[in-house]
Amino acid sequence: MALFPITSNFEGDFVLQLVAVDTENTMDEVAAAAAHHSVGRRVRARPGQILRVRRQGAAEFFPRTMKLGEAGLKPTETVEIIWEAPKH
Amino acid sequence: MAVLNRMDWYDLARTTNWSPTYVTEDELFPPLMSGAFGLPQDAWEKYDEPYKQTYPEYVKVQRDKDAGAYSVKAALERSRIFENADPGWKSVMKAHYGAIARGEYAAASAEARMMRFSKAPGMRNMSTLGCLDEIRHGQMQLYFPHEHVAKDRQMDWAFKAYDTNEWGMIAARHFFDDIMMTRDAISVSIMLTFSFETGFTNMQFLGLAADAAEAGDHTFANLISSIQTDESRHAQIGGPALKVLIENGQKAEAQKRVDIAVWGAWKLFSVLTGPIMDYYTPLEHRKQSFKEFMEEWIVAQFERALTDMGLDLPWYWDIFLKDIAETHHGMHMGSYFWRPTVWWNPAAGVSPDERAWLEEKYPGWNDTWGQCWDVIIDNVVDGNMAMAYPETLPYVCNMCQLPILGTPGKQWNVKDYPLEYNGRLYHFGSEVDRWCFQQEPERYAGHMSIVDRFLAGMIQPMDLGGALAYMNLAPGECGDDAHNYAWAEVYRAMRTAKKAG
Ligand SMILES: [Fe+2]
Ligand SMILES: [Fe+2]
Repeated sequence: MALFPITSNFEGDFVLQLVAVDTENTMDEVAAAAAHHSVGRRVRARPGQILRVRRQGAAEFFPRTMKLGEAGLKPTETVEIIWEAPKH
Repeated sequence: MAVLNRMDWYDLARTTNWSPTYVTEDELFPPLMSGAFGLPQDAWEKYDEPYKQTYPEYVKVQRDKDAGAYSVKAALERSRIFENADPGWKSVMKAHYGAIARGEYAAASAEARMMRFSKAPGMRNMSTLGCLDEIRHGQMQLYFPHEHVAKDRQMDWAFKAYDTNEWGMIAARHFFDDIMMTRDAISVSIMLTFSFETGFTNMQFLGLAADAAEAGDHTFANLISSIQTDESRHAQIGGPALKVLIENGQKAEAQKRVDIAVWGAWKLFSVLTGPIMDYYTPLEHRKQSFKEFMEEWIVAQFERALTDMGLDLPWYWDIFLKDIAETHHGMHMGSYFWRPTVWWNPAAGVSPDERAWLEEKYPGWNDTWGQCWDVIIDNVVDGNMAMAYPETLPYVCNMCQLPILGTPGKQWNVKDYPLEYNGRLYHFGSEVDRWCFQQEPERYAGHMSIVDRFLAGMIQPMDLGGALAYMNLAPGECGDDAHNYAWAEVYRAMRTAKKAG
């Protein structure tokens, strides 16, 4: 358990934001914490879609259940929070 | 007795270099302050100022200028222009005075550095007059807003802003400290006068004067165009210095200073002047869009000034040309959304008519910034105000100190430009900001952005209240919507009509 600041670059938003999360948070929880500061404020919700997290510029998302502390991110490193349509 | 023509004696009279015998040349002109680029005094004696004015001539002209501006103010003092002005226009004045007035005093000391430490006699004379100019600008831009302080507490920021840790002022200080307070005389002449003043003060002082005249604020229009007549004279201090440097094989160093200063100036104008011109100035009073002003003053005129001088366009010119249609929309959205953290009341500027204007001037605006504004507008119309404010900090750039932003919506391109230096992770808003830092990392590395300060626990309590206290924003000074959200009424009516239809 340790507070951990990340920089959120949220798909569709206009600005990077500081988001306080915890090393124990899963990537889904990280995405939700970032969404709190973007969705419904400047970005419309996308019903039916989920949010994935990746290192800025990475092709692959982090696994949804991966803990933030295991991702090897540096404090304040920028992650992209990306909408993902459900796979059929 | 016949008086000689000025041109018969000026050059000789201001040739005040001598060969020091009691001290060395380096003691007389310490390189750190003089910035002689290794060139001896006689190389700098070739400095030939394009604007030769004597002290008596200067005093006569300045006296007339002051008489003009002050008499317009006196004549209009009872006209209630301020009281009757659109709230968006009041915000223009507040933002301008706070960001500029005390910076003018600081500029006086930058001019004084050239006056004392430049090895070029002609530069010393020009900047003696330039220093007096800047004192005049500081005094006027504190005196003129002072009549409004009793009517509106935010006007007090004309004086107060530079003493605070308000985020925009941290950005302004970081820039001005970099280009004019912490540089040698020659670098000041390149970065402050040639880069900033030739390029950008025209925008603020002539572009804005045009909008002011349209808005009926003749006091403000006269004041700032009076100031600009001084700027356009002392802005010429840097040109001949560049010539000396280029002739003596120092083009690369000169170019680098130009590139750094132009970029910093651009970023500052994107947050200060961009929102003012495209969002705060009432629609019917807008002369041109910010981008059109930029294209006229910077792209057309400054480009020519650079190439005439024998310099190249900054390496990032393509990035810059793209950004002049984009960055300031984000800076506006940021200062609007975080409006309690500024000392003026931002005008949203997004009524249906204003959006049509924005779409016309910036094709694609509705699909990008408009997408974010749609959400903000819905919240305001629904009275869902908690969602129309932020609950965290935007991440700011470790170079320009402004939010790291890009284009949202369907053209989403927001990106961080990180850099690890000496074990610390820095964040930048663009490739160019990061490049500026890398030119001289030790110069900037120790500075803490407002986000760094927050993370270091310097802002307590760690919430909006703590942040406002840290930024010295007292109750009654924090910004809110300039029109008290009256612009949302038309959206409310549209929605009702749609339901009824
Ligand atoms: Fe000035
Ligand atoms: Fe100036």
